[in-house]
Amino acid sequence: MARNCIVVNLDRCTGCFGCEVACKMENGVALGERWSKVFTVGPVGEYPDMTRYALPTMCQQCENAPCVSVCPTGASYRDANGVVLVDKEKCIGCKYCMMACPYGVRSWNVAEKCAEKCTLCGHLTSQDKLPACVKSCAAGARFYGDLDDPNSDVSKELAKYSEGDIHTLQDVGNAPATRYIMTSMIGQWQDRIAPADHPHTAAYPVAE
Amino acid sequence: MSRATMTRRGFLKSTAAMGAVTALGISAADSLTAVDPAHADEASDVKIIKTSCRACIASCAVLAHVRDGRVVKIEGNPESPMSQGGVCAKGLAGIQALYHPNRNKYPMRRVGERGTNQWERISWEEALTEVATKINEVSDKYGSEAISVSTGGGGNPHFSNVKRFGEAINTPNVWEPGCSQCYLPRMGASLLAYGAGKPNNLSFADSNGWDYYYTDSPVTSLVLWGTDPSNSSVATGGRALAELRNRPEGLRTVVIDPRYTLDAAKAEVWLPIRPGTDAALLLTWTKWILDNEKFDEEFCRTWTNMPYLVNPETRLTLKATEAGLPGTDADYVVWDSEKNAPVVVEFPMNEGLKPALFGTYEVNGMQCSTGGQLLKESCEEWTLEKGAEICWLDPEQIERALEIYTDPNGQSGIMQGVCIDQYAQSQQCALGALNLEFLMGNVEKPGTMLQKFAPAPCKDQLGNTPRLLSKEKVMKRCGTIEHKGILCWDMAHIPSVFKAMKDGDPYQIHMWIERSGNKHVVLGNSSCLDEIVPNLDYVVHCFMYPTAFSVLCADLLLPTTEWLETNLTIPQLNTIVMRQAVTHLFETVEEGIIWTQIVQKCAELGNEHCAKAFDEEACMAPPFYKNEHEKQLQHLNKLEMSWEEACEKGVIEWAKPEEYRTYQTYLADDKENPGKPKGFGTPSKKLEVYCESNIILGRTGAPWSQCAEEKPLILPPASADYEPLCYYVEPAESPLTDTEYPLVLTEGRLPMYHHGTLRNIPYLREIYPVPEMWIHPEDAEKYGIADGQWVNIESRRGKTHGKARVTTAIAKGVVYQERFWAPELLDSDDPAQAYKVMNVNVLTKNDPPYNPEYGTYTLRGFQVKVSPSDDEILKSVWIEPEQFQPWMPAPSEKTEDVFDYGA
Repeated sequence: MARNCIVVNLDRCTGCFGCEVACKMENGVALGERWSKVFTVGPVGEYPDMTRYALPTMCQQCENAPCVSVCPTGASYRDANGVVLVDKEKCIGCKYCMMACPYGVRSWNVAEKCAEKCTLCGHLTSQDKLPACVKSCAAGARFYGDLDDPNSDVSKELAKYSEGDIHTLQDVGNAPATRYIMTSMIGQWQDRIAPADHPHTAAYPVAE
Repeated sequence: MSRATMTRRGFLKSTAAMGAVTALGISAADSLTAVDPAHADEASDVKIIKTSCRACIASCAVLAHVRDGRVVKIEGNPESPMSQGGVCAKGLAGIQALYHPNRNKYPMRRVGERGTNQWERISWEEALTEVATKINEVSDKYGSEAISVSTGGGGNPHFSNVKRFGEAINTPNVWEPGCSQCYLPRMGASLLAYGAGKPNNLSFADSNGWDYYYTDSPVTSLVLWGTDPSNSSVATGGRALAELRNRPEGLRTVVIDPRYTLDAAKAEVWLPIRPGTDAALLLTWTKWILDNEKFDEEFCRTWTNMPYLVNPETRLTLKATEAGLPGTDADYVVWDSEKNAPVVVEFPMNEGLKPALFGTYEVNGMQCSTGGQLLKESCEEWTLEKGAEICWLDPEQIERALEIYTDPNGQSGIMQGVCIDQYAQSQQCALGALNLEFLMGNVEKPGTMLQKFAPAPCKDQLGNTPRLLSKEKVMKRCGTIEHKGILCWDMAHIPSVFKAMKDGDPYQIHMWIERSGNKHVVLGNSSCLDEIVPNLDYVVHCFMYPTAFSVLCADLLLPTTEWLETNLTIPQLNTIVMRQAVTHLFETVEEGIIWTQIVQKCAELGNEHCAKAFDEEACMAPPFYKNEHEKQLQHLNKLEMSWEEACEKGVIEWAKPEEYRTYQTYLADDKENPGKPKGFGTPSKKLEVYCESNIILGRTGAPWSQCAEEKPLILPPASADYEPLCYYVEPAESPLTDTEYPLVLTEGRLPMYHHGTLRNIPYLREIYPVPEMWIHPEDAEKYGIADGQWVNIESRRGKTHGKARVTTAIAKGVVYQERFWAPELLDSDDPAQAYKVMNVNVLTKNDPPYNPEYGTYTLRGFQVKVSPSDDEILKSVWIEPEQFQPWMPAPSEKTEDVFDYGA
């Protein structure tokens, strides 16, 4: 099965928030909700050895997706192409999936009273177009494709880097597919130590 | 401060009806039809139109998807060599700006008192007649200089045409808060010292540094001095740096910025400099490069004026006639160390002669130093330790940065940001940075910042008509005898214009026509408008939506177009990117057309000067266009295709990259002196390390002073000579001496906003609803401030607020906050709070000392104090995303243009 996902090269990312807006414009995401969310990590460390970077997040397309396993109605599911999606018709609004997601990348649709999230812009990729956030990324930092296909954009970008420069958000057994490229040019990759209390702030608590 | 209440007093639902009175501000949503949000499962009738964004000055190429006359989607156009398909948050939100329910839709006349926010719709004919009548009346009664005209860089300006307009209505008092405070110092210094600058200077954010958009550029390191391309030019400059850093060979960078920006976070060395001390660090770098003999000696001998002897009596370069040598008063003199004698220069340099770069020599009874010697003396005291002490830096880190910049195996360049244009040392810092580049020979080589690549056949700026103004009018331009550098842009000095408005000194200004996003947000010490505007008889504001200036100051509002309604040609490297109107809403009119319409109306009503604006002979330049068609032809200039053809192509490659990237143009053959190289565009054809052109500017106004009768127009000298070399002056308000206001304030760009614009865009405002005030944890502890808390920020000018972000991303002793305002407070009981509540420009300085050359006042590097705040007014500021709902787009039908196309 394909492992389609977004890969972000943080060495390139300028933290412009363009992906957030591209996603919202494309998918009509309501005010206050974000399928694509940019955090600012750090600074951590002491001058002159400090780390600070922008961290764009979105559904990480986990292999063992907890949102799918906790869903009581099958509304959270994996489609034939392996993409984790929400069937809004089946969603009863219990929000279990939102609690189960380790990354807080699911949104609540107030109008439709259901959970929703990044769809990898399936309506575009099915027409051989790129997801909106990838297409418009101002720094050319975002890539879309199948990790298992060596000719995909994501595989080709990852192939340029060594293992130590490739990261995932903290894996608690859910095996996120999304990869982040970050080299020593930026500094030390940071794990988030606690979920953010305020999802709309740039807070990204890390161990000091 | 009291909490502003949202009574929507006087709010009437429709602005569409003529004669109805309405308030502008929160939501003027009226009879417009709401449609579903844009979605990508597009029907087949979607037209994709190539155009370009103008949410900021980068003008990235975009594709506008238009269905049934409505823009439903914006994405990047990969054909642009600069943005390569990227679009930032500002551009992507263009639909929310276009269909903002609060767009200024029709000309509106104030009813009731100023500041009460009551307006009635009038027709364009009425509006034009009213403005033209006022212009003619004021001109007849007080003289046309009693009308002031202003613009700004934000919000889709037609930049140079505001100057044409001022010249057409015969006033020298045109100004903008960019100019002396943004870009002009760096451009002007480059024109004087390098002989090119428009563009061709060190400002990367103003789309210079063209070699860096090509990943085969041999650049190996860059110094980002007070510039953050990731924030200021996201998809162009930010993108270019991302590409360069990610080449296999990479890019080493040094970032000099009080903030640990995302560019700083990727740098090898970050120097968190104290705001206002850039000149001290420039002098430190200069001394280190000279002492360590890192400079390009051969280049300096041949292509700079460092070996030229300077006459101690005139302070200008010594000429053959003054040295008692055969030759003319245009011949320069150097010192031949072998023969121990002065020698007349044979351009570029006498065969076999190695003139002394340094030293002081007796010539014709005078002690003459070389330019190089004077440079050396100017930085004598600036050791690494002294520089580190003044700039609050670590000397070892300064040296690490210098080693990167001067690496003999690499090619470096300096990108100098706007910070230096925002305090009194603007020209000094600009000259100081150019000198570093000159010393290193970083001029027009592959991989250097300074380049003179081939010019595009089209024009984005049409150029103005300075010679329409008589000598009498030019001599009345406010503040420019003292600050002659502003004449480079034919503009006036803002504090001097305000003095004329407020005190009638040297004469009363009666009328103000303004076009920009919000003067209250961008002017230094902007509360000063409270005392100024009551003295004005008539104030016009042209913009796309109401701002604090509209509500507090204006008598007439003229609705301008968004970029999706605008036409322009934009040179981008070896291409031209077209901006074309993809729709037109209500009765909005492109700014450039408003200007010509007013001038035509003035002429029709008998203003004889205005009629001259359309006469090529009187203008001594291409005359004012009369309509959109003529304007387009002037923009196309030498591009041999029709507007329609150009728009169809969207991005036009007029040269191959290798034809465009013309290096070392100064070595090209001089047509007037066959067999000789052309040199640089300075009087000496050399790079003026000892910038005597700056002295001459201060004494005479040359090369920029001009009028109908004379060019150059020789002006009386400024009160003191402009200095030819960089020097350091401690900021007027300094943390070294200030006990009452202990912290230094700096500003700096955010990626989702441009100048004072876009704070009313829901998808942008929810990302960053209120300005963060960055403060170092040690300072936060000292002043009792917690992360996320509202803070009072006070200076000697006023008080405002910011939300604390306690972070080591800011230097100790420094606080950072960007300009901001709260459009949601416009329609409250206290509309002035819209600009006062969280705007650092109520704190900034517009009083002396000014920069001698440009009259630059102080927006950064002055003193503030901070304390926790629980002011009531802060509860009125919108912070929650849902609060921005009234500003969500209200798409509407396309309308016909208001004025005839003209063809």
